[in-house]
Amino acid sequence: MRSCSPTLSPLLGALLCAVGASAAPLPPDASYRPLPAAPFDQVKADDEAQKTEVMQRQRNLLEERFDLSDQPIPNILMSGGRKPVQGGVRVKLPTGLSWDSLANMSPDEIRERGVLPKGLMPLPHVKQATGGQVFPDEEIDEIARQEQRNLRRFDVDFDLPDQFTPEFPAPIFLTTHPELGDVSRGQLVTIKNYYELFVGILTPVQLEGMRLLLTPFPQEEFNQTEDRKSADQSLGVACLDCHANFHTNGAFHQTPDVRPQAARFRLDTVSLRGLFNQQIHGSKRSLRSVEDFTQFEQRTAYFNGDQVSAQRKGVNLPNRFDQVPMMAQMQNIIDFPPAPKLDPTGHLNPAKATPEELAGEQVFMGKGRCSSCHIPETAFMDNNMHDLQLERFYKVGQTQNGLVMLPDGPIKTLTLRGIKDSPPYLHDGRLLTLADTVEYFNLVLGLKLSQPEKDNLVAYLLTL
Amino acid sequence: MTRSIWIWLGALPAFACASLAQNADQGKPAPGNPAGSPADTREVAPGVPALGQANVADRAFIRAATLGGRAEVQFGKLAETKASSEAVKNFGRQMARDHGAATDRLFSLAGRLSVALPPDQLDPEHKILRSRLDAEDGIKFNKDYIDAQIGDHQKTAQLFEYEIGSGQDAQLKAFASDQLPVIFEHLRMARVLSDALAIQMMAAASPPQK
Repeated sequence: MRSCSPTLSPLLGALLCAVGASAAPLPPDASYRPLPAAPFDQVKADDEAQKTEVMQRQRNLLEERFDLSDQPIPNILMSGGRKPVQGGVRVKLPTGLSWDSLANMSPDEIRERGVLPKGLMPLPHVKQATGGQVFPDEEIDEIARQEQRNLRRFDVDFDLPDQFTPEFPAPIFLTTHPELGDVSRGQLVTIKNYYELFVGILTPVQLEGMRLLLTPFPQEEFNQTEDRKSADQSLGVACLDCHANFHTNGAFHQTPDVRPQAARFRLDTVSLRGLFNQQIHGSKRSLRSVEDFTQFEQRTAYFNGDQVSAQRKGVNLPNRFDQVPMMAQMQNIIDFPPAPKLDPTGHLNPAKATPEELAGEQVFMGKGRCSSCHIPETAFMDNNMHDLQLERFYKVGQTQNGLVMLPDGPIKTLTLRGIKDSPPYLHDGRLLTLADTVEYFNLVLGLKLSQPEKDNLVAYLLTL
Repeated sequence: MTRSIWIWLGALPAFACASLAQNADQGKPAPGNPAGSPADTREVAPGVPALGQANVADRAFIRAATLGGRAEVQFGKLAETKASSEAVKNFGRQMARDHGAATDRLFSLAGRLSVALPPDQLDPEHKILRSRLDAEDGIKFNKDYIDAQIGDHQKTAQLFEYEIGSGQDAQLKAFASDQLPVIFEHLRMARVLSDALAIQMMAAASPPQK
C-alpha cells in the first residue's frame, strides 16, 4: 500500500489520502466466494467422513432446544389429507422458569440473565460454514425415482424430524380452477410428468412457465465444477425442487443478503401459494414482483447473492420479456387451500366455527395484535416488512453451531392462509409448531396472553 | 474500579457461554468447509485440521486483527489522556484494556501458528486519523475519536465473523467467537456516546439566548 507522499502539497495530499488510497478493507473472500483450496476428491472424502459428526452436532443442538417427539393434534390433517399437524409447545424452557414467568420479565432482564429459550433464537444451518440448499429425503427419493437426478449432498443431510415438515407431495389448488380442488393427483410434479398432468387444464403460457420451473439449472452446490457438494457432476436444481408442487417441502438454505458466511441466517422455503396477492417477495429484499424474484434467483446461483460464482458455474439467464413472465404467470395462479370456515373477507363464519375458534379470532384481532400485520382482508399479509427486534432479549454476537446470533432485522410479513400446511415457522423455521409461534409472539410483543387465550389462538390458526 | 470493570468485561463471554453451556458441542467451533483447507493440511480426523495450521483466512485475520487491536490500544490511551469528557476518557481506558488483553491472546495464538505479525506501526488509515486527532481537542476530538471507533468496531465485528466462518485453526476460531460479543458491546457503547456528543456539539454551537 503506497503511503501518502510528503512531497505533495498538503491539500492535494489530504485529498488523495482521504479517498481510498489508505483504506484497509476487509479480506475479499468475506464477500466473494473463494475458489476451493483443495482438490475435489479430497474435499469430498473429508466431507463424507465428517458427515456423521456434523449431523450429530446439529441433532444435539435441536434436542437441546426442542422437544422433538411425535405429538399430532387429533382430528386435524394438512390440506392434502396426508399428514397430521404437530401440536404442543416444543421450545424447551430454561430450568426453573415457565412461560408465564418469562412473560413477566422485561426484555432487559431476560437478556442480562441469558434466559431466552434457545429455541427462540436464530436456528443454524446444519453446516453453517458451507451452507447451501439442503433437501429432505422425500424430495431426494422421488426426484431420483422419476428423473434419476441426484439431490443428495455428500456433506450434509436434512436435519429436522419428518413430522415437522409439510405433507409430501403437497396438494395443488389453482385459482383458475377452484371447481377441481387438488389437481396434483397425489403426485410430485416433475419435468417427467407435468405435461400429461396439466395439458388441457393449463394454458400454453402456464405450461411453458411450469416447464421452466421444473428444469434443473446449475446451482452453488449442484453443478459440474469442482466447487460442489454433489457426488456427480450435477445438472443442477430446479425451482420446484424446494417449492415442491408450488408449496414447500421444508428444504432450507441461507439468506443471500448477508455476509460474511457466519452471519448468514437460515432460510426455510416459503410456499408459493397466494403469490398473486403479494407485493413483496423475498424475506428481506422486498423484490416487487414475482418476475423480479424469478429472474434474480436464476442470476445468483440460487440464493447466494454472488453473481460472480454463478457465472463460473453456468448461470441461467431466462429472458425477462418472454420466459420470466411465463414462469411468473404459472406461479401467480396457485391458490391457497380451501378454508371452509372463513367467509370471503377472511373472517370466521360464526355458523361454522367452534366457540374456541371464535374466541381465538377475538384474540387475533384484539389482545394478540396479530391482525396489525396479518390482516385478514388481505390474505393475512400487509405487504410490509417488520423488525420484531428479538435482540432485545439476547446478547448479540454469541456463536451457536457456527451461526453468529445477530439481529434478524426487518423481515416480510408472511401469510397465514393455509398455515397449518407449512411448518416449521418463521423465516428460518425455528418455530416447529403453531403453539411455539404463539409463545414467541407473546414474548416479543409483550402480550401476556393467558393459557386459554393461547390455546384458542392455535385453534383459530388451524382454520385459516 | 477500572480493574473490576476489566474483570467483568473479561468474564462477559463466560457469562454468555454459561447460559448456553448445556450443549457440550458449543465449547468447540463448528466444522468448517473442507474446501477452505489447503491440500496439504494435516488432519487429526478426516476433515478436522490439526491445530497449529493457519489457512488463508486465518492469516488475513491475524494481520487485520493485530493492526486493529494495536490501533485500539494506542487510540484508547490517547483518548484517556486527551478527551475532554469523563465518559470518553473512560471509554478510551476500557478500549485500551480490553483490546490490550485480546491482542496479547492473539499474539500468543499467532506465535503457535508460526504466523509473523505485521510491523508494529499504524496502518496508513490510522496514521491519517492519528494526525487528525493530534490536531484537535475538546468536543471535536471527542466526537471524531468516537465516530472513528464506530467504524473500527463495525469492521472488527465483520472481521471476527469472517474468521468464525472461514478460518481453519480451532483455537483462533474459538478466540474470535469469544471476543465477538465484547466487540458488539463496544460498538453499542460507542454509538450511544456518539449520539450524546452530537447533541453536546449542537448545544455548544448555538449561541446562548439573551
